[in-house]
Amino acid sequence: MFEIGRLCLKIAGRDAGLKCIVVNTVDNNYVLIDGQTRRRKCNVKHLEPLDKVLKIKKGLSHEDVVKELKKENIEVEVKVKRNKRGPRTEEKSAVKETVKKQEAPKPKTEEKPAAKPKEVKKPEAEPKKTVVKKAPVKKAVKEKVSKVKAKAKTSKK
Amino acid sequence: MPAGRYKSRSMRRVYTKLPGSRVVIHYKKRKPSKAECAVCGDALKGVPRERPYKMQTMAKTKKRPSRPYGGFLCSKCMRAKLKEKNV
Repeated sequence: MFEIGRLCLKIAGRDAGLKCIVVNTVDNNYVLIDGQTRRRKCNVKHLEPLDKVLKIKKGLSHEDVVKELKKENIEVEVKVKRNKRGPRTEEKSAVKETVKKQEAPKPKTEEKPAAKPKEVKKPEAEPKKTVVKKAPVKKAVKEKVSKVKAKAKTSKK
Repeated sequence: MPAGRYKSRSMRRVYTKLPGSRVVIHYKKRKPSKAECAVCGDALKGVPRERPYKMQTMAKTKKRPSRPYGGFLCSKCMRAKLKEKNV
């Protein structure tokens, strides 16, 4: 009854109502099925044999089973493994990339000749000024502090 | 004597024993009837019998079996229906 290649209807569990092929036999009660259902071991009691037997090799791979079922006008949904965050992040990253591509290249091409030399000049000028400014301030503060300390010492004495 | 509103049997009576060995009656709301198969009328397995406020907090997977017609037909009637459709 449940020979290899037998078209079956699964009538129990969450895959109930889906069609499958017997790919291999495990023992008297169990067979390996594949098709619209998941590829899995299955009790014969949970299968309803249909009237067709496909000519297939023993232990056919899932992709080939899908091809065989297509000939019988039974379409198998392609299952995509999805991580809980996987597809979302891909979409988001794709959106970001497109946004970057749209935004980024335009200013580069337009402003490159004009903007670059200006940017290069500014950083050279700024740090020198800041360094010059910072140093005397610190010295002045230190001097003040030292003076204050000296005054305090003298007052204590 | 119970309070007037508890004299009818619309509330369920629960006898609870207190630490001082005094027995007190608590009045609780009754649970809804069991879910039944739409074809044969048997009680459905895997469908909890709780008040709506508790059913609301439950996960969907805890409220009915995850198969076609789950929570509507019993497994036998579901099989019969699938066979009718496909064979």
